[in-house]
Amino acid sequence: MVKVTANNIEMRFGSRLLYRFDSLSIAQQQTVHLQGDNGSGKTTLMKLFAGLQTPTSGRIQAHGFSSSPWWRRNPLLGKAVYLHQHPYLFDGSVAYNLNYVQPFCELSTQEIRQRTSSAIEMAQLGPLMQQQAASLSGGERQRLAIARAWVMRPKLLMLDEPTSNMDILSQQLVLTMISDLKTQGTGMLISSHQSCSLTSLCEQSWQIEQQQIMATDAASPIARLNQHKRELHYVTAN
Amino acid sequence: MSEGWLALIQQALSLLFSLDPDVWAIVSVSFSVSFAALAFTLLPSLILGFLLAFVPFPGRWFATNLIQTIQSIPTVVIGLLVYLLLTRMGPLGDLRWLFTQPGMILGQMMICAPVLIAMSQAAFTSVDKRAWETSRTLGASWLRSVWQICRELKVPLLMAIVAAFSRILTEVGCSMMVGGNIAGVTRNIPTAIALETSKGDFAQAIALGLVLLILSLVLNFTLGTLRGKAEPRSH
Repeated sequence: MVKVTANNIEMRFGSRLLYRFDSLSIAQQQTVHLQGDNGSGKTTLMKLFAGLQTPTSGRIQAHGFSSSPWWRRNPLLGKAVYLHQHPYLFDGSVAYNLNYVQPFCELSTQEIRQRTSSAIEMAQLGPLMQQQAASLSGGERQRLAIARAWVMRPKLLMLDEPTSNMDILSQQLVLTMISDLKTQGTGMLISSHQSCSLTSLCEQSWQIEQQQIMATDAASPIARLNQHKRELHYVTAN
Repeated sequence: MSEGWLALIQQALSLLFSLDPDVWAIVSVSFSVSFAALAFTLLPSLILGFLLAFVPFPGRWFATNLIQTIQSIPTVVIGLLVYLLLTRMGPLGDLRWLFTQPGMILGQMMICAPVLIAMSQAAFTSVDKRAWETSRTLGASWLRSVWQICRELKVPLLMAIVAAFSRILTEVGCSMMVGGNIAGVTRNIPTAIALETSKGDFAQAIALGLVLLILSLVLNFTLGTLRGKAEPRSH
């Protein structure tokens, strides 16, 4: 089972301290709801766990990942996948974007082909395959980005506000794909301001508050209270 | 248009379409020298443009401004510099490249490189950071991700290449000083146009000018087509 551990982490942007914590880890088959105010560093934390960013001090350690070739120093890239809040789609068709991951998958050709057609079906992308990715709506873009990650069957997946600005249909399709990845053993870190069908999949909650990160059981009274306070604050702010 | 003008244009067209050996020898020198200069400069310049855009290092600001300054130096000054390098007493005098095509290629490389570096740096700086992060997090190697970024920036990068090629193909100063305008050896389109005009042989000058004009039209319309297809991206 793969696991990423962050030890003695301090994250700063210039003189501004974002947060400091002793130890946090995320493993396969673990689903975590990441909460925090705007600017508290949720995206940065997910990028740390995905190997896209390095902490100011401390260590991010990957355990149980298959060995990488000498020219790929970071074992997390391609295995702990991070999805942006507004996903980036490459210049080209929907098919081009979906097939982009094929050379980097650690799956057999037949399996990749099967997963690609399943992803098209699950995300209902069939009629859009030859369309330019730039012409997709927000919800379609998010579905395509999640379908692209679903094909890879990543060990870990970081989802940054995955259902923000989505209609009900897109939310349901995304939920189906994410639930499916969960049953396949993918560990997930999901950031979201509000409780939604996706966050109900989470067993654990990480709360960024006052430059610290607190990990609690998602069902615990503290986590529920924090979530309730956050939603109240979110509604008031809007 | 007077009859004299019409006659000149007719003569020019007949020189071109009758495949006049003198005219086409000049065209061939121009293209072979400029293509070689572009080919030698392209990859290192794009790499430098990429590094200047993405890799922070002390002196990056200075390097960027220096390259932009070099870009605006008149070609005749670069010609003078290359001349001094290649002259018998110069540091590269032993190469005996003065008044040869390799000398012209060296000069054109010095004109081409700053244009390519500055324009590619501007293109790379404008890329959406998420493109790089997406490529990397999906498992692409560093090199594959660089290629992907270049693919995302194909229009501005092609514009940089066309701008650099146009600059070296049409420059007179450096070619004249370093090449010496020797017929059949170092005489290229701009130096020939300057010479024939000064001699009063306008037909050949117009014929050569037409070649540049047609090339310019082809390149710009091709770019225009590419640019037209590249619709504004919604992120």
